[in-house]
Amino acid sequence: MTDSKSNPPVPPADRTSLSRRSFLKGGVVTGLTTATVASVASAKSSVTMGKAATSLKGRIAISLDINGEAKQLAVEPRTTLLGALRDHLEPAMTGTKLVCDGGNCGACTVLLDGAPAAACMTLALDAASHKIRTIEGLGKPDDLSVVQSAFCEDDGLMCGFCTPGFVMAITAELEVNPTADLDRLKDACAGNLCRCGTYPQIFDAAVRAAKTGLDAINKGAK
Amino acid sequence: MVRQDKDGIAWPAPDKRRAIGKDTKRIDGPVKVTGAARYSHDVRLPGMVYARFVTCTMPKAEVELDFEAALAVPGVVHAKRTCGDTTLYLGEPIAVVAAETPEAAAEGARAVVVKLTELGWVLDSKQALADGAPEVSRRGNIGRERTKSEGDVDAGFAASDKIIEVAYTLPTQHHSCLETHGMVVDFRGGDSAVIHGSVQGTFAMLDGPPETLGLDMSMVEGDVQHMGGGFGSKFGVGIEGRVACELSKELERPVHLMMDRETEFLASGNRSGNEVTFKAGVSKDGVVQAIVSDSNKLGGLSGGSYADQPFVYSVANFSSTTRSVYTNLDGNRAFRAPGYPQASFGMEGIMDELAYSIGMDPVEMRLANIPKDEWNGVWRKQLRRVADEIGWNEHPHKGTPGPHSIEDGNEYVEGIGFGLSVWGGGGYPTCEVECRVDPGGSLTVSVGTQDLGTGSRTLVAMVAADEFGLEVGQVTARIGNTKYGRANMSGGSTTTACMTPAVKDATFKMRARLLELVASNTGKDAAKLSFGDGGAVVGDGLNIPWMDVCSLAGASGVTTHGEFRKELQASGAHGAQAARVRVDLVTGEVKVLNMICMQDMGLAMNPMAVRSQIQGAMVQSVSYALFEERLVDVDLGIALNPNFESYRLANVHSIPEMTVIIDEEDDRGVIGVGEPPAIPGIGAIAGAIHNACGVRVRDMPLSSSKILMGLEELRNA
Repeated sequence: MTDSKSNPPVPPADRTSLSRRSFLKGGVVTGLTTATVASVASAKSSVTMGKAATSLKGRIAISLDINGEAKQLAVEPRTTLLGALRDHLEPAMTGTKLVCDGGNCGACTVLLDGAPAAACMTLALDAASHKIRTIEGLGKPDDLSVVQSAFCEDDGLMCGFCTPGFVMAITAELEVNPTADLDRLKDACAGNLCRCGTYPQIFDAAVRAAKTGLDAINKGAK
Repeated sequence: MVRQDKDGIAWPAPDKRRAIGKDTKRIDGPVKVTGAARYSHDVRLPGMVYARFVTCTMPKAEVELDFEAALAVPGVVHAKRTCGDTTLYLGEPIAVVAAETPEAAAEGARAVVVKLTELGWVLDSKQALADGAPEVSRRGNIGRERTKSEGDVDAGFAASDKIIEVAYTLPTQHHSCLETHGMVVDFRGGDSAVIHGSVQGTFAMLDGPPETLGLDMSMVEGDVQHMGGGFGSKFGVGIEGRVACELSKELERPVHLMMDRETEFLASGNRSGNEVTFKAGVSKDGVVQAIVSDSNKLGGLSGGSYADQPFVYSVANFSSTTRSVYTNLDGNRAFRAPGYPQASFGMEGIMDELAYSIGMDPVEMRLANIPKDEWNGVWRKQLRRVADEIGWNEHPHKGTPGPHSIEDGNEYVEGIGFGLSVWGGGGYPTCEVECRVDPGGSLTVSVGTQDLGTGSRTLVAMVAADEFGLEVGQVTARIGNTKYGRANMSGGSTTTACMTPAVKDATFKMRARLLELVASNTGKDAAKLSFGDGGAVVGDGLNIPWMDVCSLAGASGVTTHGEFRKELQASGAHGAQAARVRVDLVTGEVKVLNMICMQDMGLAMNPMAVRSQIQGAMVQSVSYALFEERLVDVDLGIALNPNFESYRLANVHSIPEMTVIIDEEDDRGVIGVGEPPAIPGIGAIAGAIHNACGVRVRDMPLSSSKILMGLEELRNA
């Protein structure tokens, strides 16, 4: 926690001439309208709808590369990666949480080839071509990754249901950008919701983990 | 000062504490950060089926159902009606479909043919109170009206120099638990069952399910090791629990029934909306002379919640009327200080509006109206402290709000607002705790209490560890199961004050037993012995390590039982909050920059968890004040935002810098802190906006469009 007086807020700069702010100030109304029309007119719609009428049925055998291990399973085309992890693997991998089922909350964040993705918005079939990492692929309770350990140190969790998603999002950022600062780390979990309101402690944990460095972060990433 | 009963039980003095009163990491942190913690949602059992509700898309309807197509969906094993002939609220679960996979259950639910015959309905107070309005239910549309009053309001208004009349409204707020409501029922025929429920009362799982399953209560085990948020909405097993039990009984298979997110929004309770009118008068010295308040409580099918006025502050002449106005929406449930934030929003607003009407500093105004009871000094201290911390002394505009014009190039303006809180908390006799020491050295403490994320599991271990000088990690804390001792549900900030005294009692008795054992084995005087570092028994020339002490327990070990000890707890929590916001005068956007909370809770058992909970309450206040609102189209009768895409919650970028000041009063024993910090934040934020630019938004959420309209009014005035 910081002292309220030590860090005076800086008003955000206008980001672009097309911001809501500048629009309301009245300066660029014409420009905005023109730009919008132009972009609509130039957009090309070339989606082929021919195959949409055929819906795939039945189960398809796939292999998912999860945390470095090839997992064989049979899924329906409609099964999401989140569904595959939680309900179609034996044993089930339930560390990744189902919360909004619509890509709004980040609780099901997994890493696909290192990049964070919402498992509820990813079809299992599509995931078959990627290296998948889940919360189970980081540390274990008695051998935590640096990010996980930082969450425990800074009390970055209460009910804990959002926690795996935040841990994955922050891990992904730090693996790419080990020196990420607080703003960058906040952006990394801008898509994650926590209802208990543990955000400040999560930020504390993220900053602590960043300080510890990339090598240590990778320690638990088997 | 440490209070002590005649048998000597007392919380350890500050210099004797190792865990109690110290920042202590959660003992279940490692399982939660690794995904290893098993929530009800995560229970997977052999032969388990997944069930999914079908909900009613009209506010009130006669329902006909045809399950033929649903039952034909591959994988679907069962489908049935879950409502009566008619429904009463929008989103009421009307049917359930069970299938081998979640995907098949969802497809089956979509395949249920639903024929609805619309019945007359109302969705807001205007519709409910209109002449000839359709009846919400047989109970009618208006609940009992209640008026609380004191003094003579006419005389009070006569003594006032300024009188204002204003109306405030608050939206319906959703609990938005990340783990939805639901249960996994493990019944496979036979005479016993295990229930895994996302509930905030372990023993709630024995209230209803045994009857539904047709089993003796002693043969049903309820288990909740971890749960993903409750906030007051998960006291009972609900329709989801009842239906899960019915399905499991009928199928003789384990059933997984967790609400999908939309059903969660529509049918799992909420914080009631409120419409309140005020007439309030103040004399030039800042003393509120009279208040007349009238509130419609909008709790859907339930009564709604609203604390009476004047909230916190003392007003000599007042009249406060409340009534429930029913609508065809799901009933409200308890939600972190039920009715208190709503009442606080109104009363803090009145404080600001009256203060500015007479050109008075809103802090001085509050100080002039704090009750002159035993807590007067506490609130004064807290309010002054949060004002100091947030920079009120240096603030440029106190008795009048800041500028609303951007003509002088002033596009951003900052303001500060305040709020006070009060809550009961405290404990009562309910928890039964077992403490067990085995000859191998293990110390196990068990009680059925649940952990909602507040850290109750960790508290069990902390209290026990301190009794014997052990590390927290040396204690096995077992909670969240009906096999363990009886415990209360987590509501009203009572868990800590109910549970920890009973844990203390059990371990205190164990301490005496172990010292007696050592004394009888060594011929020493037990009164001269005590536990030193690492659980060693020391004194009278002895220094016996913990493991050797435990070996005296004999093959069957030693067990003690603890009950509530009222001398270890108290009730009555008080707090003050301040918020600093920045208002963008161009866009109306509000950014909450800082919040300060000073809060008493008696002995802060685990200050780290206390800070987390208080910060969480402030985050929820930011979210409630600025974003949250259930939207219903009252003409079409449809829900507009039953999802996290359209129902907005505060996110990473909405969070202010927060400072928690724990008001140390550890001689009072434990009290509890869940609700009190969730009360004053919304009023403080609204006050800060008012202070910044002169716009009083009287209708939550405090959105930028409302602020822009307010600015426009001021500029045109």
